[in-house]
Amino acid sequence: MNSSTSSSDSPDQRRIFARIFLTVLIGMGLSLALVQGVLAMLGAGSSSLLERVTQARNALPQIVEEPQDLVIAFGSSMIDAGFSPREFDMAINEAGGNIKSFNFGFGGLNPMFQDYLARRIRDDFEANDRRLKLVVIEFNPFQTTKSRRNLQSALEESYISLLASPAELRDITLDDPESGIRMALIRYLRDGISAEMITTFLWGGPFQTPRDDTGVDFEPDQAAEERIGEIVKVLTPRLEEDYPDYDGTDWYYPWQGGGTIKSERSPETVELINEYYNLAASDYNLAVDRLDRIQSADIEELHFDPELVDAFIRIVENFQAISDHVEIVMLPKNTDWIKNPPEALDRQAAVVREIETATGLVVRDYQTIEPVTNAMFSDTTHLNRYQGAVAFTAFLAEQYAELLVAP
Amino acid sequence: MLFNTPIFFVFFVAFLLIYGLILVQKRPKLYFILVASLVFYGAWNYRFIPLLVGSSIVDYYLALAIAAAATQQRKKLLVSASVALNLGILGLFKYADFALSSVADFLLLFGVEASLPTLSWVLPVGISFYTFQSMSYTIDVYRGDMEPRRGLVHFTTALAFFPQLVAGPILRARQILPQFHSLPIPTWDGARHGMLLVTSGLIKKTIADLLAIPAAVLFEAEGPVSLIEAWTGTLAFAGQIYGDFAGYTDMAIGLALMIGFKIPPNFNLPYFARSPVDFWRRWHISLSTWLRDYLYISLGGKYQRHRNVMITMLLGGLWHGAAWTFVAWGFFHGVIITATHYFANLKGFSGFVGSRSRALNLLKWALTFYLVLIGWVLFRANSIDSAWDIIVNLHSLGALPEQSAIAGRVFAVTVIAVIWMHLQDWFVISKGEAFERKKWVFWPVLIFFQGLCLMTGEPSSEFIYFQF
Repeated sequence: MNSSTSSSDSPDQRRIFARIFLTVLIGMGLSLALVQGVLAMLGAGSSSLLERVTQARNALPQIVEEPQDLVIAFGSSMIDAGFSPREFDMAINEAGGNIKSFNFGFGGLNPMFQDYLARRIRDDFEANDRRLKLVVIEFNPFQTTKSRRNLQSALEESYISLLASPAELRDITLDDPESGIRMALIRYLRDGISAEMITTFLWGGPFQTPRDDTGVDFEPDQAAEERIGEIVKVLTPRLEEDYPDYDGTDWYYPWQGGGTIKSERSPETVELINEYYNLAASDYNLAVDRLDRIQSADIEELHFDPELVDAFIRIVENFQAISDHVEIVMLPKNTDWIKNPPEALDRQAAVVREIETATGLVVRDYQTIEPVTNAMFSDTTHLNRYQGAVAFTAFLAEQYAELLVAP
Repeated sequence: MLFNTPIFFVFFVAFLLIYGLILVQKRPKLYFILVASLVFYGAWNYRFIPLLVGSSIVDYYLALAIAAAATQQRKKLLVSASVALNLGILGLFKYADFALSSVADFLLLFGVEASLPTLSWVLPVGISFYTFQSMSYTIDVYRGDMEPRRGLVHFTTALAFFPQLVAGPILRARQILPQFHSLPIPTWDGARHGMLLVTSGLIKKTIADLLAIPAAVLFEAEGPVSLIEAWTGTLAFAGQIYGDFAGYTDMAIGLALMIGFKIPPNFNLPYFARSPVDFWRRWHISLSTWLRDYLYISLGGKYQRHRNVMITMLLGGLWHGAAWTFVAWGFFHGVIITATHYFANLKGFSGFVGSRSRALNLLKWALTFYLVLIGWVLFRANSIDSAWDIIVNLHSLGALPEQSAIAGRVFAVTVIAVIWMHLQDWFVISKGEAFERKKWVFWPVLIFFQGLCLMTGEPSSEFIYFQF
C-alpha cells in the first residue's frame, strides 16, 4: 500500500463512498422525477408554455420552402390580433404581387424573449439561404417598460432557456455559469418550467394582493355577460362547421399564423361576432383592462427599460440580416382609453430616436391612422378581428403594395 | 455559488467523484480540498483568493513564532500583530466607508461640511468569518490553549474549507485543524445524517426565501402599514433570518459530514429561548462563544459584567454589518442581557427566573420572543429612524392603513412557517438518529422534501449572512 494512504480496509471505505456518491445522484434524480410527475399532473411543459411560439418555430422549415416572396409581421399579441396575413396576400397579389405573408405576433413576450425568437428565424433563413421580401416589426412602447419586465422576471430564465440555441446557452454558461446551469436544468430536466412558475401556479392565487380597482367607475353589466356566454356557445360549433380541417392549433399553418377571415364566414356568424365585440368592449371591461395595463405594463406613463430597448434594436438587426426591406411600425392605439401625458410622450420620442439612430430606419407611427377607429378595438389595446384587423391589414397593404408588387 | 443552486450541485458531484478516487490518499486529498475550496470561493470573486490565502499564511507563521517566542512580551507583540492584521483587513474592507461617513455626519452636527473620500471597495465574501477563525488560532496558541501544528497547507485548507468558508460556523482551529491532519474517511451513518441535515437546511432556506416577501411589505414600505401586516412582517423577518442562516449552517454541516468532517452545530432552537441570555446560547453559537471567549473574557468577564456585556454586544452587533442599525441591535441586546442579569440577582425576581412553572415559562418565552422580534426590527430596518417608525407602528392602536384582503392568510402562513422550522429542527435534533434507521420512510421523505424545494421558487436567493 502507498505510504500516504490512511487505512488498511480501503476497499470497504471505497464501497461506502461509492454508496454515498450514488445516493446523492439517485436522490437528486428521484427528486427531479417527482418534479416531472407533478408537471405532468398539471399538464405544464414547454409545449403549453410557449405553445404559439413553438408552433410557429416548427413551421419555419416549411415557410422557407414557400415559392412566393415572403413577408413576416413580427410583434406582440397586437400583431396577432391586428394583422390578417391571408387578407394581406389577397390585396397584394390582386395588385400583381406574388407574396405569402405570416403572422408572427405572440402574446406574453417582451423584446428580450422576442430577440431570441428573431435569432431562430434568422438561423433558419440563413441556413436555407432564403430572404424575406419584407418584415414589418411592431415597436410596442408598453411592452418595453420596466413594469412589463418586472412582471415577467420569473419567466425570464425559463423563456430564454427554451428560445436560446445550444450555442447561446453555452455562451450564457461561460459568461455566468450559475445562470447558464440553471437554464440548462430548466430546459433539459424541467421541460421549461422553473420553480418560480410552479410556485406561482400552485400557490400564487391565494396570496396575490387583489387588484386596486380605484379608477374603475363603471359597474359590470350582468345581462351583457350572460349574452356573451350564449354567443360563445353558438360560435364554437360554427367555427368547426366553417373550418372542418382546423386542428385547433393557435399558430395554424393554413391560416399563416393569422385568424379566421370575414369572407369565409356566413353573414349571421359575422353579425354574432360583431355583437360579441360590442358587448365585450363595455365601459366596465375596458376600464378594468386599462387598469390591468397600467399596473402590469405602465401603459400610460411609459418608463422604458433600457435593456428591453436594446433587445428591440437587436430584433431589428436580426431581421435586417435576412430581409430586403425592414419596417418598424407602432400599431393603432385606442385613444379613448389610453392617454399618455406629455412626459410619457417625450420619453417615447427619445426611445424612438434611439431606435432610429441604432438601426438607420424610420419608426412609422400608425397609432392614430384614419382607417382605424377606436370602435374597432376589442379592448384597450387589441384590434378586433373583423373590423380592426381588416382595416389595419388593408392599410398596411396600401402602404407596402408598391414595394411588394415591384419586381 | 449558493448551496441551493444547480451549479453547486454540479460542483459537489464533481468534487465527490474526484474525492472518491483519492479517498485514501492523504496528501492528494488535502491538496484537492484546498483547490476545490478556492474554486468555490473564486466563483464569487477570484480576486480575493490572495487575501484569504495571505491571511492564513501570516497567521500560520505568527502562531509558530508565538509558540517559539522566548518571552511573554514577544508573544504578546506577535499575537497583537495577528489581531491587528485581521481586524485591520476587516476594518479596511468592511468598516472604512462607514467610519468615514460617520465622521462626516458627526462633523456636520457642528456645521462642518467635510467631504471625506470613500473607498467603495467590494466586501470579500465571508471575510468576517474567516478572519475571526484565523485570529482565534493565534490567540489560542498565545494563551496556551493549543499547540501550533506544523503544516501550512493543512491550516490554509482548514480555513478555506468550502462548506463553512463563506457563512460559518466560525470554527476554532482546535475543532477543525486536527481533522485536516487525520483526514477522516466518511462513514455511511455520518453521510446519511449529513443528507438529512442538507435536506433540512434546504427546506429552511426555501421557507426563508418565501418569508422575504411579507417581510419586505413592512420593511420596504414607504409609510405605516396595518397592524397585522406590521407584525406579520416582523415575524416573517424573524423566520427569514433564522431559516436563511440556520438553513445554510445545516447544509454546511451536512455537506462536511458527507465527506467525513465534523462541524459543531450553530443553532439550538433559538426561538424557544426563555431569556435573552438563553437566546444567545442558542443563536449563532459559534459567534456568541467566540465573542465570549476572546472578547468578553479578555475584557475581564464577570468583573464589571455589565460594562463588558455592553461592549461585547455592541461589537457583536457591528460584526454583522457596517451600519448604525446593527450597532443599535447590538446595544439593544446588550441592554436586555444586562437587564436579565440584573433582575436575576434581585431578590424578588429570583423565584421568577428559576421557576419551573409552565405558565411562568410560557410568559418568559413570550417576553423573550417579543424582545427578540423588536431586536430584529432594528437589525432589518433601513435606518434607525425607519426602525423607530416600525416599532411605533407595531404598537399603534390608532389610525393605521387598512389591511389588505390577504393579510390574515399571510399572517397565518407566516406563523405556521416559523413554527414549522423549529419543529423540524427539534425533530432532527431529538429524533433524527432513529428516523434515519427507518430507511423505508427516511429516503422517501427526503426525496419528497427535496422535490418540493425544487418546485418552490425564490424571490431572493442571497444568504443574508454572506454580507457579514
